[in-house]
Amino acid sequence: MLSAFLVLLGFFAGMLGALTGIGGGVLLTPILALHFGIPIRQAIGTSLVAVITTSAASSSIHLQRHTTDIRLGMTLELATSLGAAVTAYLVAYFNRNLLEGLFAGFLLYSSLTILLRRGKVKDHDEGPPTNNRETEIPAYEPQRYPLGLAASLVAGGLSGLLGIGGGPIKVPVMFIFMNVPLIVATATSNFMIGVTAAASAIVYYRRGDILIEIAAPLAVGVFLGSLLGARLAPRIHTKYVMYLLVAVMLYLAGHLFFHLFTGAGAV
Amino acid sequence: MSQSREPGLDRIVALVLRVGAFGSFFIMLAGLLVGLFVQGHLATRLERAGVLLMLGTPVVRVVVAGILFLREKDWKYGAISFGVLTILLLSALFGIGEH
Repeated sequence: MLSAFLVLLGFFAGMLGALTGIGGGVLLTPILALHFGIPIRQAIGTSLVAVITTSAASSSIHLQRHTTDIRLGMTLELATSLGAAVTAYLVAYFNRNLLEGLFAGFLLYSSLTILLRRGKVKDHDEGPPTNNRETEIPAYEPQRYPLGLAASLVAGGLSGLLGIGGGPIKVPVMFIFMNVPLIVATATSNFMIGVTAAASAIVYYRRGDILIEIAAPLAVGVFLGSLLGARLAPRIHTKYVMYLLVAVMLYLAGHLFFHLFTGAGAV
Repeated sequence: MSQSREPGLDRIVALVLRVGAFGSFFIMLAGLLVGLFVQGHLATRLERAGVLLMLGTPVVRVVVAGILFLREKDWKYGAISFGVLTILLLSALFGIGEH
C-alpha cells in the first residue's frame, strides 16, 4: 500500500541525509514528482515537511554538542526566512517546466560540488550522538555580515523555490567568508534550515500545496531514518554513501531533463 | 561575542526541537495506524495535526530563543528573534494564494 511505501522512501531519504549532510528534500521532491505523478509545486511543499523534520531531529543533536552558533544562525535567518517566504509566494506564478529545469540544475550543481570534494564529508567530527563530549572549537568572530546575509537571502530564496535546505550555499559562505569554523558552519546551517523551510512551508500550506496524506508517512519515515543515520554515521564509510547519493541525484537530474524535453516519462 | 557558549540556551532550544519532532512523529504515526483500521476523518485529522505541529516547531523555537535572549538583557538578539518571528507571521498572513 501507498503509505507503507512512502514511510520506506522517507526512511531511506532520511538515512541518506543524516549520513551525508545533504537534506532529504533534494531527493524527495523529484521522486514525488517523477514517480508519484505529483505536480512539482506540491511535491516541493510536501517534501518541505520532511526537510523541517530532518533539521529538527539533527540540530537537536548538534545543539547538545554545543557546536551551533544560535546567535549567528538567528541573524542569518532574518535573510533566509525572508528569501524563502518571498519565493514561496512567487512560486505560484512559475510554470512547471521552469521549476523542473531549475531543480535539475540544482541536482547537477550539488553532484558536482560533492565530486569536486572527492566525496569527502564536510563535517569532520562525526562522533556518535550518544557521545556528549565537548568539541573543541577555536575562538572566532563571524565577519562580513553583509555578505553572509546576502548569501543567506539567496539560499533562502532557493529553499522556498525548490523545497531544499540550501546547505551547499550557506556552509561554504560561513566557512570561507565569515571566518566561522567548519563544524560550527555545518551545525548552524542545519539549525537554520528548520526556520527557513517553515517560512516557505507555511505559504505552501495555506495555498494547499502540502499533501497531508503524502507528507505524514514521508515525515514518519524521515524521522526514523535520520535518527538511525545519525547513529550509523561513525561506523560507515561516508565516502561510498556520498557516491551513492551522487548516482541517485544524477539519475534524478537526467530523469527530470528527459521529462522536460519529451513531456513524458513520468509515473 | 557571537560564539555560542551557553549550555543553558543550547539545551533549552534543543529540548524545544526534540519535543516538537517527537510529538509530531507520534501524532502522525498514530494517524497512520488509525488509518489502517478505521475508515473516517480521525486518521486525516491526526496526520494534519502532526504536520502542523512540525511546521509550528521552528516558530516556537524562535519565540523561546527570543524570550531567553530578552531575559539575559541581550536586546540586540532579542530584537533579531522578534524580526524573524515577524517574517514568519507575515508569511502566514500573505500565504493565502489561489487554490
